[in-house]
Amino acid sequence: MSFEVPIGPQHPIHVEPLMLRLKVEGELIVDVDVDVSYLHRGIEKGLEVRPYIQGLYLAERICGICNCAHSLCYCLNVEQLLGKEAPPRAKYLRVIVEELSRIHSHLLWLGHYFHTLGFETLFMYFWRDRERVMDMLELITGNRVTTAYNTIGGVRRDLTAEMESKLRKALEYLEERMRYYEKVVDNESTILARTQGVGILKPDEAIKLGTVGPHLRASGVKHDVRYDDPYSGHDEIPFNVVTYDSCDCYGRVKVRMGEVLESINMINYALDHLPSGDYRLKIPPLFKAPEGESLARVEAPRGELVHYSISTGGTSPYRYKVRTPTLANLLSVVHMLKSRGDYEVYIADVPPILGGIDPCICCTARVIITDEARKTRRITTLSELERYSRERRGRRR
Amino acid sequence: MIEEVLASIIFPGAIFILAISLFYEWIDRKLYARLQNRVGPHLAGPFGILQPAADFIKLLSKEDIVPEAADRFLFTLTPIMASTLILLACMFLPIAGPKGIISFDGDLIVVVALLSIYTIIVYLAGEGSNNRFASIGATRAALQLIGYEIPLTLAILSVAISAGSLSLSGIIQAQQERGLWFIAGPQLIGFAIFLIASQAEMERIPFDIPEAEQEIVAGWEVEYTGRRLALFRLSKDLELFLLSGLGATLFLGGSAGPIIPGLEPLLHTIYFIVKSVVMLVIFTIIRTIFARLRIDQMVSFSWKWLMPFAIILIILSEVIA
Repeated sequence: MSFEVPIGPQHPIHVEPLMLRLKVEGELIVDVDVDVSYLHRGIEKGLEVRPYIQGLYLAERICGICNCAHSLCYCLNVEQLLGKEAPPRAKYLRVIVEELSRIHSHLLWLGHYFHTLGFETLFMYFWRDRERVMDMLELITGNRVTTAYNTIGGVRRDLTAEMESKLRKALEYLEERMRYYEKVVDNESTILARTQGVGILKPDEAIKLGTVGPHLRASGVKHDVRYDDPYSGHDEIPFNVVTYDSCDCYGRVKVRMGEVLESINMINYALDHLPSGDYRLKIPPLFKAPEGESLARVEAPRGELVHYSISTGGTSPYRYKVRTPTLANLLSVVHMLKSRGDYEVYIADVPPILGGIDPCICCTARVIITDEARKTRRITTLSELERYSRERRGRRR
Repeated sequence: MIEEVLASIIFPGAIFILAISLFYEWIDRKLYARLQNRVGPHLAGPFGILQPAADFIKLLSKEDIVPEAADRFLFTLTPIMASTLILLACMFLPIAGPKGIISFDGDLIVVVALLSIYTIIVYLAGEGSNNRFASIGATRAALQLIGYEIPLTLAILSVAISAGSLSLSGIIQAQQERGLWFIAGPQLIGFAIFLIASQAEMERIPFDIPEAEQEIVAGWEVEYTGRRLALFRLSKDLELFLLSGLGATLFLGGSAGPIIPGLEPLLHTIYFIVKSVVMLVIFTIIRTIFARLRIDQMVSFSWKWLMPFAIILIILSEVIA
C-alpha cells in the first residue's frame, strides 16, 4: 500500500516554497513529483523595462545568498555588450568578494545541511563562524548580505590596507576552523552513516541530467566555470578544482569544505598580488548599448550561472534570460529520490538529498502558461523552442 | 495519614516532581545552548530558570484545536494519560529517603512497564490525530520501541540480579551494603546500554527519529496544540527526570550517602539531585555530539550491538552475583 507524503510548499527543511509529492511505501520512496512554481517574481521582465544601471540592482536581488555572483554576471554581460573590460585591480577585487561570498554561502549550506541531519551543534558552530565572513563582507563592501559591490565597469569601493589586515586575520581563523570541521566530519560516525551511500549520482547520469556546480564535482566531474572559462582574472590566480568521486551526499559535503579552503587560498593570493591602478571605469549612468547579444557565465556558489541578453540598441535590454544553478540541479533530485532495485531511498533521506544540491527556489520559479481547457496538443521543435526562449513576452518597444 | 497525603502531594510528591522536572528541562536547555555556543534561555527569572514554566503556562493559554479528522477520544485521552503515567512512575523514585512514595517488592517492574506503556500512548497519540506525518512518526516510535526496549529492560534487570532484589529501595540498600555503586564492575556495560536506550526512550538526538523535525515536521505530535501539547511537553520533562533519577538510583546509589542525623530528608534529596543531574548532563552531552540516525540504522544498531551486550551482561551478573 502506498500513500502520498507532501514535503512542502511549507516544510521545516526549507524556508522557500518547494513542493515534493512523495509516493511512499512504508518508509521507502517509490515516486516523486516536483513543483517549483510558487514564487514567480517576474524579474526577467523587470530587467527588460529598466535602464542597465537600474537592472544591476534588480539582478543582484535575484538571490540573497549568491547576490555577488548575480551582480558580477550581470556586469560581465553588460560589459560584453559595451565591449569594455574592467581594469585589473577591479578584477582582483571582484574575485576577493566573490570568493568571500562563496565561503559565506558554503558555510551557510554546511550549517544548514547538518541541521537537516539533526546535528544541531555543528549547525550553530558553522553559523557562528559564518558571522566572521559577514563582518568581512560588511567591512569591504559596506553591506552584510546584499553587497552591491560590483558595478558596470568595475567595483564600487577600493580595498584599504586596514581592511586587508583584518581580512587576513579572519581568513586565518576560518582556515583553522575548517581544518577542525574536516576532522569532525571525517570521524563522526552518525554523519557518515547518514551521508555515505545516500543519494548516489553517477558521473554519466550527472552529466546527462545537466547538473552543475559542487553537486556535479561531487560526482567526480571536473567542471568549474572559473577553470573552464576564466571570467575575472581566474587564469592568473592558481587554484584547484575540488572534486570527490564518492558520488554521494558525503562527497557533496567534502567538496564544499574543500572549496572553502580553496577560496581562502585564492583570496590570500589575490591580496598578495593585488594590482594597483583604477578600480572602476568611468561609465555614464544612462547609456545605450550597441545592438547585439551577449552571454556571461559565472561560477556561483551553487554552480554555473548563466545570464543572456539581447540588445536592440536601447537603454535597456530587449530580452534578458537568467539560468540559475538550482533549476539545472533539480532534475537530478527527482532521479536520486526514486528507489530502484537495490538502491533504496527512505523518507529520512529526503533532507540530505534535497539539501545536497543547495536548493534556492526563489531564483528558480518560471512560468509557462498551458491551456488545459482546450486539450490541444502541439509538437514544439527545437528551433521553435529556441525562438520561444529568445522572444520577449508582450509588446515590443 | 495526613503526613503521607502531604508527602504524595507536596514533598517529595507531585508538586516537587513537577517543579524539579521543569528545572531539569532548564538545565538541559541551558547546557545544550552553552555547548553550542549559544546563550540559551535567559529572560524569565535569574538565568532564565523560569523559562520552562513560562513556556508551559503560555502553551496552556493557547488555542486548543482538534482536527476534524482526528479521533476525538484518543486525541483528548493520550496527553492526559502520558503525563499521568510518567508522573506515577516518578512516584516510585526514592528521592527524600531510602524508599519512594510508593514502594513495594517488584516496583522496578512497574516502572519499566509504565515506560513501555508511555511509548504505546505515543503511538496512539500519533495514529489518533490522523495526519500523514503523525502516522509516520507513530509507526517510527513503535519500531524504535522494538529496538531499544529489550536491551533497556535487560540492563535494568541485570542490576536487579546483582542486587538480588526487584525493588528500588532494595537496590539502593544493596549498593550501600557493598560500599560500592553498581557502576563499578560489570554493570558499567549496563550503564552504557541504559544511557543509549534512554536516549531512544526519550526521543532525543541521535534517536529523535519519531519526531524528526526536518523529515516529518514534528512527527507524532504534529497536530497537538495548546494545553494538549503542554501536557506532552510536561510528560517529556517528567520522563527526563524519571530516567535521570532511575539511572542515578540503579547505577550511582541514588539517595544513599553519608547522613547527619536530623537532616535525613534534606541530605537524601541533595544526594539524589546531585547524582541525577550527573546523569542529566551525560544525556545532554550525548544529544549535543551526534546527528540523527535513520530508523533502519537505529533498529539494526540496537539488535547488532545493544542486544548481544545486554545478554552478555545478564550472564555476567548471573555468574558474579
